[in-house]
Amino acid sequence: MTPVVKYQAQITQIGPLVDEFVSAGVLVLFGEDAPEELKEFSIIHDGKHLDQDVKPGDWFCIEDEKFHILAVGEVANSNLGNLGHLILKFNGLDTPEMPGDVCVEARPLPTIQTGMRFSILGE
Amino acid sequence: MSEEPQYKKVKIKKGPKGWGGPLVVHPKPGKDLIYSVTGGGIHPLAQHIADLTGGKVFDGFKSKAAFEQIAVCVIDCGGTARVGVYPMKKVLTVDIYPTSPSGPLMRFITADLFVSGVRKEDVELIE
Repeated sequence: MTPVVKYQAQITQIGPLVDEFVSAGVLVLFGEDAPEELKEFSIIHDGKHLDQDVKPGDWFCIEDEKFHILAVGEVANSNLGNLGHLILKFNGLDTPEMPGDVCVEARPLPTIQTGMRFSILGE
Repeated sequence: MSEEPQYKKVKIKKGPKGWGGPLVVHPKPGKDLIYSVTGGGIHPLAQHIADLTGGKVFDGFKSKAAFEQIAVCVIDCGGTARVGVYPMKKVLTVDIYPTSPSGPLMRFITADLFVSGVRKEDVELIE
């Protein structure tokens, strides 16, 4: 099957306090309209459109790395579609702890840099 | 002759399965924004709080405001980021989802600053 690109974006800014979340195994992403106080803690990107809802079984891809998506919280798709907001937890759980969570494989977090591209692929 | 706006005070209690509060929100001149940091524009709960108190609704994704101007912040946070950021800034925070303190910033989320699971009927005019 040909993969479907559900969401794609380029990282434009990395907040000075992103490490607060990275050290807890969490990446917090927001679109460029986020207020400053959220940008401090977030990875900011230029993504605009969620073409299809994200589901377990999809992939989060960043540069050459792929992470299998295991669980998608009930408000995660509206967060992403409305605000470009994504909470990625690298915890290996197949049930989200919080309604905003998108859980992926428990592997070391990718190193994030401005200019990197990421996407969410489904089938 | 007074030019002071007539602000009113509300008590906001937690909704079903919610946490924290109750919060008392009383807008004042210069600190009267009902700050909505929610998907899809001003949240109806923020509008409701503004209607009751005389505060001004404000969309955090469209414009900027200083924290000192915010009477209360309304979020639709699924539990990790926004739930902590506003309490950390000592801004009264109302989550429409019934979240409990969690996430890396959970140490900042206290019952005197945060209430969750809030519905319109959980907001009561007290003065």
